[in-house]
Amino acid sequence: MTDLKVELLPGLTLANPVLTASGTFGYGREYSPYIDISSLGAVVTKGLSLAPRAGNPGVRITETACGMLNAIGLENIGIERFLKEELPFLRDSGAVVVVNFFGNSQAEYAELAARLDGVDGIAALEINISCPNVKAGGIQFGTDPGSAAELVGAVRAKTSLPLITKLSPNVTDIVTMARAVVEAGSDALSLINTLLGMAVDLQTGRPVLGNLTGGLSGPAIKPVALRMVYQVVQALPEIPVIGIGGIVCAEDALEFLLLGARAVQIGTANFIDPRTAIAVIAGMDKFLSARGYEKVTDFIGTLKPGR
Amino acid sequence: MYLFDAEIIENRRLADDISSLRLEARPEFVKAGSAGRFVMLASADERLDPLLKRPFGIVRCGRGWFEVVIKEAGKGSRNLAGLRAGVRVAVHGPLGNGYPELEKDGRPLVLVAGGIGIASIASVVFSRNFDPAALLFGAARAGELVLLEELKKTGGGRLEVAAITDDGSSGRRGLVTELLEEKLEKWSDARVFACGPGPMLQSVQRVLQARGVEGWLSLENRMACGFGVCLGCVQEMRAGVRAKVCTDGPVLVAGEVVF
Repeated sequence: MTDLKVELLPGLTLANPVLTASGTFGYGREYSPYIDISSLGAVVTKGLSLAPRAGNPGVRITETACGMLNAIGLENIGIERFLKEELPFLRDSGAVVVVNFFGNSQAEYAELAARLDGVDGIAALEINISCPNVKAGGIQFGTDPGSAAELVGAVRAKTSLPLITKLSPNVTDIVTMARAVVEAGSDALSLINTLLGMAVDLQTGRPVLGNLTGGLSGPAIKPVALRMVYQVVQALPEIPVIGIGGIVCAEDALEFLLLGARAVQIGTANFIDPRTAIAVIAGMDKFLSARGYEKVTDFIGTLKPGR
Repeated sequence: MYLFDAEIIENRRLADDISSLRLEARPEFVKAGSAGRFVMLASADERLDPLLKRPFGIVRCGRGWFEVVIKEAGKGSRNLAGLRAGVRVAVHGPLGNGYPELEKDGRPLVLVAGGIGIASIASVVFSRNFDPAALLFGAARAGELVLLEELKKTGGGRLEVAAITDDGSSGRRGLVTELLEEKLEKWSDARVFACGPGPMLQSVQRVLQARGVEGWLSLENRMACGFGVCLGCVQEMRAGVRAKVCTDGPVLVAGEVVF
């Protein structure tokens, strides 16, 4: 047995480095018939907004080569219903809870952070500045370093909870974005969110998705995610990074850890089999134990120089 | 619901692009696999393309097995339809709510199927007793009227069966809603179950509304997960309500669906 514990941030130690990505794990409850959600590193909730959101009309998902496009549009029950109806279940389950949230304006982000501050049962916040499927907010904050920094600063001022900023890959230079939000007070980074993509239907001659474009996820994006995590870890070695993008098995997750990610999030693969994250934890232990690692932290960031 | 790998017992071709897969199942699965529920399926090997499981209605269950009918509509369904007996398939199910159990009050039941919607509708014929009932089956052409003979046999004298095709190759040319209009003319107190493509279900809804007939529609919206988390299959309903087709459906009250 390898000790899989990781200290994500001072005061926030996780039982293992495997989290579930926002938008693929509901509010945790949906997975409890299948797995013990308290055995995950943490559960990251579906992105929450101040008011409930209906999401986008029309076709919302389509499979592409080794991946999928989604344009759900951040449908969610809103913060108040979450706190009243969903958080108590998560708290009782013993799961470590990271709340993902987003707003339509900087003021909304700040208001949400204030509302979540000091709520019992929340271990950390993940700021979504990078959803590609909503017109206001979301990605507009995630592609401009100045706006992103201002936003993170406004949120930082309203909460004492650990802050993780989820970065968009739809930028020219990921390191500039990473640096901007860290300087503004983000404690950690999670990357990558989905890549902007599109699918068209030759039969109908129309875009497949109701929203026209969507976010690409799944194994197709793993190489992009690995590259961006690598760049950020190299540039900001002290900042905890959570790697996200196309992880379907333990080996995929270990690749991110090898590069220096302190933890990972499983996304699309949860849809294929709700037990995926648990299988990744078991497989990670098996791989590391077989190679004599006492602690996963001895493995993290051990990438050898290229030739 | 259960997650397991099942061996394909039989893969039988029903039409050019429609196949029947019979898969192993444990007794507890068979017990839960009531009419109108569905499974998510993918080949059990570790392939990444196709990536997601695909939803298919449970057509019928027997001792140690269940059957799905697959129309090849894209790479996921094509891949599954091409698997041979002995190959293993990853199964997640039974999922969804299924058709409601109706009061035995003597009112007739009309089953309306469009195209591969017959896979869902057939589950009612194979698993329930009713009197009287009618099966109205519309398809593009005669070759796509799959399972028809088996359904006639199962229904016996208690199930009237009528078919109609877009090209007239089975005899009558036209849309299945024409058959529905005619049937409801005689059976004004009937209840209706329908499954088929969106435009067909929309027409069925209009017919039911115009005549004040009670009905349920089984929807085929795209979904990634099948258990309520991806929100890909969400359907707009009346009064601003949204239903997850996978967990609130796939069978929804006809009058509440907003197309």
